[in-house]
Amino acid sequence: MSKSSLYADAPILHVNLSDKSILRETIAPEVFKQYLGGRGLGVKLVYDNLAPGTDALSPENLLVFAIGPSTATRVPTAGRFVVVTKSPTTGTMFDSHAGGYFGAQLRRAGFAAVVFYGKADVPVYLWINNDEVELRDASKVWGKDVYETTDMLLKETDEKAQVACIGPAGENLGLMAAIMTDKHRAAGRGGVGAVMGSKNLKAIVAKGTGEVGVHDQERLNAAVERSRRLIKKNAVTNKSLPVYGTPVLVSVANELGMLPTNNFQEGTFNDAEGVSGEKLLERFSAGTYNCHGCPIGCGRVSLIKGEKVGGPEYESLWALGPECGINDLEWIAIANDRCNHLGLDTISTGSTIGAAMELVEKGKLDAPLKFGDTTGILDIIEDMAHMRGLGAEMSEGSKRLAERYGAPELAMQVKGLELPAYDPRGAQGHALGYATSNRGGCHLRSYLIGPEVLGSPVLVDRDRPDGKADLVMLYQDLSAAMDCMVVCRFTNFAWTVDDYAELVSAGTGIELSGRDLLRLGERIYNLERLFNLREGFTAMDDTLPPRFFKPLPEGGSRNRVVHLEEMLKEYYKLRGWDKEGRPTKATLEKLDIPVS
Amino acid sequence: MDLTVEKLAKMIDHTVLKPETTQKKVKELCDEAKDYEFAAVCINPIHVAYAVELLKDTDVKVCVVVGFPLGATTPEVKACETADVVAAGAHEVDMVINIGAMRDENYDLVKRDIESVVGASGDAHVKVILETGYFTDDQKVKACQICKEAGADFVKTSTGFGPMGATPHDVRLMRETVGPNMGVKAAGGIRSFKDAIRVIDAGADRLGTSAGVAIVEDFRWAQYSDSWMAPDKPCWTCPSRMANMAKQPKEVYKWYKERCLTCPDKEHNVFND
Repeated sequence: MSKSSLYADAPILHVNLSDKSILRETIAPEVFKQYLGGRGLGVKLVYDNLAPGTDALSPENLLVFAIGPSTATRVPTAGRFVVVTKSPTTGTMFDSHAGGYFGAQLRRAGFAAVVFYGKADVPVYLWINNDEVELRDASKVWGKDVYETTDMLLKETDEKAQVACIGPAGENLGLMAAIMTDKHRAAGRGGVGAVMGSKNLKAIVAKGTGEVGVHDQERLNAAVERSRRLIKKNAVTNKSLPVYGTPVLVSVANELGMLPTNNFQEGTFNDAEGVSGEKLLERFSAGTYNCHGCPIGCGRVSLIKGEKVGGPEYESLWALGPECGINDLEWIAIANDRCNHLGLDTISTGSTIGAAMELVEKGKLDAPLKFGDTTGILDIIEDMAHMRGLGAEMSEGSKRLAERYGAPELAMQVKGLELPAYDPRGAQGHALGYATSNRGGCHLRSYLIGPEVLGSPVLVDRDRPDGKADLVMLYQDLSAAMDCMVVCRFTNFAWTVDDYAELVSAGTGIELSGRDLLRLGERIYNLERLFNLREGFTAMDDTLPPRFFKPLPEGGSRNRVVHLEEMLKEYYKLRGWDKEGRPTKATLEKLDIPVS
Repeated sequence: MDLTVEKLAKMIDHTVLKPETTQKKVKELCDEAKDYEFAAVCINPIHVAYAVELLKDTDVKVCVVVGFPLGATTPEVKACETADVVAAGAHEVDMVINIGAMRDENYDLVKRDIESVVGASGDAHVKVILETGYFTDDQKVKACQICKEAGADFVKTSTGFGPMGATPHDVRLMRETVGPNMGVKAAGGIRSFKDAIRVIDAGADRLGTSAGVAIVEDFRWAQYSDSWMAPDKPCWTCPSRMANMAKQPKEVYKWYKERCLTCPDKEHNVFND
């Protein structure tokens, strides 16, 4: 195999949209060793090259599309990509991930990442056809939705290519705009689509037919064979997710009183059975969807009014359903599909609608919105993407909306990012994960639902705050490392730290033990933290909405509150951060992060 | 505890006892047992010859259940079944105790039942399944004493088909009763490495589980945090929590519930975990 097919030798494309220049540069060996690729590479690039205080929607912001050393190799689930930028929604460092097939095409085209700078004077898209890269006029697709854009650009380029694009929400700089790929897979969170829109960049289209090399194919084959076997042996990855998809969680979360209902006012949804994974399978299933190289196949395809639509997945189903008190599964699938067409993050969209409903309920906002009532909601969603009327206000997310109407406590968010589908009162560790997530309200930085709810790898007492800081840190560091490989979070049910380390070692030649891999993740987590501190975030931002310090009235998590202060103290200590949540000099030195 | 992945694997009887088990599944079981170097595979008698063939020239033992899962056949039938599986190459025999006779306090019959299997087992080890969910603690102690007197090599908690699985409480009680020189096998409901470590801590030296691969693989997580083993609510592992009126004799069920009512940790007994 030629040396140039290795990830370490693959160039980063630096695309300046202002002057149309395109440069190629390989990853510095030290950066590769310390940050590997994917999220780590993106975070390092943004941290090093973005001036503090930069407006996230200004031309000065960087927008990084990155893949990792596992991408398009035989490593299962490794066809994903990550977008790293400063988020206009949260103001934090932000990484947003999507499945589908785009990541694998970008890697096969021979690149490690694409970094966008500046702003195009007219709408453009980037066409990557193996080694040939060009900016093209996108005026014909500007204004089109995600599905039309994808179809038109594939027709204009190559039907075998893959598209990552924005819809109207991104073009109009909505703060919950997603970047969509394969039409219904989303790098959904943090308004990354708005950053793309702010640069007049409608899409990237990639086609790659090249070989993807690894350091030691034989060793990697052995590790891959083992990792596939583990996925096959695991009940979650071999049964629950393939059969029911992520909506299998509806019943589980509801049973434990953790299914946020009516904007987190309750943890139990009376009609949960009607919107469950089981019901979705029974009523609307039209097949499953596997991303590139994925043996799990958690993606759903539903048949709604004679038309096949992507999803809905658990978080989307919850956000557009129970979070708004809505129990009409068919309508939820339609609303989810609408969001996909418009390029909207379903979690933030649904949660912001839920917040608006509560603002109305509390007499703070006068609008025709009511929990459980779908009337007019599809129009509101359209308005959120097109910045019309109340929709324009809602497109800024629940935090800004609730502040605007004098009730900031009604926004269920952390650092400006809407919380996902687990009430934190029901799982202490997961609550700490929400509060300390570098990108704001997120369940995937440390998915403690695994041990606290699903018993993976073992069940831990979800009510105990002690010992949770340790697990949150472990999951945050491992997740950061996984995101450098750019593999799916669901592998985490089947693989241990050692498996990821072996896959990286075999693939790259960088010999890493499990502990080394966690150290790499810890380095990234701390660099993100430094970025956020530089942007003005403090320990005061590591918190949760006041609602979560009051008990749930009923259900499986009744009478529980989040014991955040106690866990946070322990967490800072374990992280090697001071009382203000700043990494100490010793911590930074330990992690080889230059101390300024 | 100085437990490694390898040591843990060596304590596991990799088990499949479902009636619908196919030869393909038995092959998979044996292949995994070889790969992970488990102590044994635990199977129904119909599969013994096939498993013996698959595992020849390995250190993995073939363990076969007898009088399973009810234990309600005669001593003669159990002896016959034992002789048959041992002749086919079984290294270990897991028999089910005569549960009804234990409850009748017909201890002679219980002992004769076990002795008949021990007598027919040749060099094979004999483990006696008590099916603890049908007994009070006093009955469990008595059953262990009879097993020891009858010459069995192990006492074992459960079949996996009865009203309760293995609990640390029962394992501890059984270990205290039989002493250090007899084996104690915990079986039934051991699904995670945490379950495994709990019963090992309580005195088990062999584990029967169909989740052997997951237990060993997930045990690799243990090195990365001590918090996995943080204490849980005491009720999680208490046999009284598993008491089930539909599955247990009335007086046994009431005995378990009485324990619960007088337990100092009673306030933790919430049923939504």
